[in-house]
Amino acid sequence: MEKDVAQKTAAALKGAGIDFVTYLPETRLSRILPLLEADSAFKLVPTSSEAEAVTIASGAALVGKQPAVYMEGTGLFVCSYNLLTVSIRVGTPILLLISYVGSMADQKNSFRFAPTGLRTEQQLRALNIEYQIAEDPAQVETQLQNATRMMHALKQPVALLFTGAFTL
Amino acid sequence: MIRYECFEWMAPLIDDHLVVTSLSGQRVEWGHLSNREGNLLLGSMGNALAVGCGLAMALPHRRVVVLESDGSILLSLFNLPTVANLGPQNLSVFVFDNQIYSGTRISEPTATAGKTDLEIIARGAGIEDAVTVRDLETFKKAALPALTGSGLNFIVAKVEESRGHRKIQRTNMDLLENKYRFVRYIEKTEGKPIFLGRG
Repeated sequence: MEKDVAQKTAAALKGAGIDFVTYLPETRLSRILPLLEADSAFKLVPTSSEAEAVTIASGAALVGKQPAVYMEGTGLFVCSYNLLTVSIRVGTPILLLISYVGSMADQKNSFRFAPTGLRTEQQLRALNIEYQIAEDPAQVETQLQNATRMMHALKQPVALLFTGAFTL
Repeated sequence: MIRYECFEWMAPLIDDHLVVTSLSGQRVEWGHLSNREGNLLLGSMGNALAVGCGLAMALPHRRVVVLESDGSILLSLFNLPTVANLGPQNLSVFVFDNQIYSGTRISEPTATAGKTDLEIIARGAGIEDAVTVRDLETFKKAALPALTGSGLNFIVAKVEESRGHRKIQRTNMDLLENKYRFVRYIEKTEGKPIFLGRG
């Protein structure tokens, strides 16, 4: 992720009202983390597993935070049980910011990631989680605002899959 | 010591605490003894501690009480280093360790029936205030400051296998109803809207 894209993404998260970010870092989008850490508008919560990143975020959502969960695409498979048994079953508005590793437009795609990427959208559909693909940084502000509006409307997790220029 | 008698003692001490339960006996017995709006009766394995951590991180001035089981904690052991390093000073974790998967109906043992010690795991993860108690009087001594004071507490209560919860009438309040009751309670007591949107 290039520096200006990271800055644009961090600013868009703030503009969308996100104020609580749980995460397990990965490679594609990691440059947003120092920017979020440096901005007191965000409470950052490092975790040891995506499984708890979604449940901690769900708890925060129930008491008034506007949470996002930042993870690699592989993490979606790790946290599917927790999404099902807490976030979806309770119905908590959380925004999943997923690095879409192994997708067609992933600029760092390899044999290590493609099998995951092939199944990521299928997994989101199986979970009945609304999602959009973010490839163009010029659209990220609009897409984050739309996704945040949708998560509040549904009171459910909503996902953005980051690929294309976000994976440079 | 049985879990229900611990809950009977705890229930009158709950004021504006937020209480999150895991599954099985924790959910059924606590839901039977306490009908407070601040209860979140999750009823799933491996989630209560992390949800409680999220509540505690987001509302640092409210005490959060998590009622967990050994099987549930073992399913999500990665919670312990995360909670230790985040260090919320308003979180009290009670693990009612009956050393079996009681939901199996065949009392299949958990790892704590063998060599595993949850207090030592918690300490190793970085939770300094972790203790194990084995009788009701010791439980009360450890639980009272955890319910009335501050800090991050982790209390492993070694309890006997009890099937009392199977005879209790279960609440038919599903998680959606529970969520809205909980959220409206937070709105009322914190004076702020929780769920956003146009309406």
